[in-house]
Amino acid sequence: MPEILTIAEAARRISAKQLSPVELTRAHLERISRLNPQLNAFLLVTEERALADAAAAEARQMSGSLRGRLDGIPIAHKDIYNTAGIRTTAHSRLLEHNVPTRDAHTVKKWAEAGTVLLGKLATHEFAFGGPSFDLPWPPARNPWNTEHFTAGSSSGTGAAVAAGLILGGTGSDTGGSIRGPAALCGIAGIKPTYGLSSRAGILPLAFSLDHAGPLAWTVEDCALLLQGMAGHDPEDPASVNRSVPDFTAELGKGAKGLRIGVVRHFFETDHPASDATRKGIDDALNFFRQEGATVRDITLAPAADYHAVGYLIMITEAFTLHAPWMRERFADYGELFRDRVALAATVSGPDLVQAARRRRVLCREMAAAMENLDVIVSASQPGEAPRIADVAKWANMEKPSFTMPFNVTGFPAISVCTGFGEGGLPVSMQLAGKPFSEPTLFRAAHAYESAMAWRARRPAMAG
Amino acid sequence: MSTPAIDEAELGRILARNRLTLTPDQVRAILPGAPIFQQMIARLHAPLPREAEPALTFNVEQC
Repeated sequence: MPEILTIAEAARRISAKQLSPVELTRAHLERISRLNPQLNAFLLVTEERALADAAAAEARQMSGSLRGRLDGIPIAHKDIYNTAGIRTTAHSRLLEHNVPTRDAHTVKKWAEAGTVLLGKLATHEFAFGGPSFDLPWPPARNPWNTEHFTAGSSSGTGAAVAAGLILGGTGSDTGGSIRGPAALCGIAGIKPTYGLSSRAGILPLAFSLDHAGPLAWTVEDCALLLQGMAGHDPEDPASVNRSVPDFTAELGKGAKGLRIGVVRHFFETDHPASDATRKGIDDALNFFRQEGATVRDITLAPAADYHAVGYLIMITEAFTLHAPWMRERFADYGELFRDRVALAATVSGPDLVQAARRRRVLCREMAAAMENLDVIVSASQPGEAPRIADVAKWANMEKPSFTMPFNVTGFPAISVCTGFGEGGLPVSMQLAGKPFSEPTLFRAAHAYESAMAWRARRPAMAG
Repeated sequence: MSTPAIDEAELGRILARNRLTLTPDQVRAILPGAPIFQQMIARLHAPLPREAEPALTFNVEQC
């Protein structure tokens, strides 16, 4: 079986004419054909399109006109990203035959960068309802153990990257839907600053919390992919009009001098994480100290406060969007999506305004806490992936999320693997930064990741 | 801050008021989530300073 490359390494070899984009694409198509029946990561494989994209990239390679480091790189999109002429379902019966006429802004940008589109990836229904077994397609499975959950909602992207079916892919993150699958599948995934990457053409879940971002095997690959996504788009009202920095600029600068705050109460008392998760975080903090960073604990409002604000806003905005369909076709939704979102009917006007008021207080609190910090560290997930059959319908409400605080505030946050737990599945930590500080966030995450051995280990099924 | 529990009949009325006409089984499937969600709502109603405006306060420059 051919080795699975990182995007950075594949780009280097393509640039040096040591790797054929067509051969790379064929290897990935073969891998999809062999492993996807166990993983359900792909809802649709676009083989013909992929080979055409690869041939075009190879022609540019041969003529010395490569478009950059994403040219010829096999990717896929979460199936809430509109793809012109290619079915986009949101993993839902309601859009089972939906074929958009336009690409999402970010899909277009990656295509213009020369990426090779391998297909469309599983998601929780409309980026929220999952894992569901009552939809037209089964849920994605975790490549580290297919009896286990990937987290969601970017479930197919997490599984496909970890198993080496793709080198990178898109996700969306409203309460943790990039960082959750990144954490449970043992890869890297970044939710960028709110407004940095356009959501135009991505089926929304909750306007004021939705973020678009990439998942990949390494932090460096996430930086390369985000470079290809970020930028102003007047079609997204939240899109910021500011220059896009070089997200790889600070990679390799190490951790010396970084000021790191640890929100220890999130994962020790608010929602106690597993021993392996806490050990992974403590080991990472020791690494940062040894490298010359300063590390201190900080205190924020309880994670449950952030979670309550984010969850109420999320399902209320989602209900606003879906109510017309839910009134007509309630039974066509999967049980998890419809029942979770229907609870928004119990929200009053004052409840929603109060959530918005408290959101501002929490934003100010986090900004003040970060005034003299570069990075804050917390958990991404409470532990290893649970068995997929054991994920309860109301589990996402019962305990506060570690990821939601950064959807509420819009601050950037990345999940990276910190090793493996007792069950042999990955554990992780989350690094967050100030708004638009992605280069520093990538620097810190890359310094840690590149000093550890975790990237040398793939799921057994990936070979 | 405690909140009154929502029973099946009340939940059915709330859903109907939102023009969600569901079967009794469909209402019963949602009911176990209601008390958990009501606790989250209660958490939001802890007192805030009067000057705490919503995060999405109207901004004329964004029109």
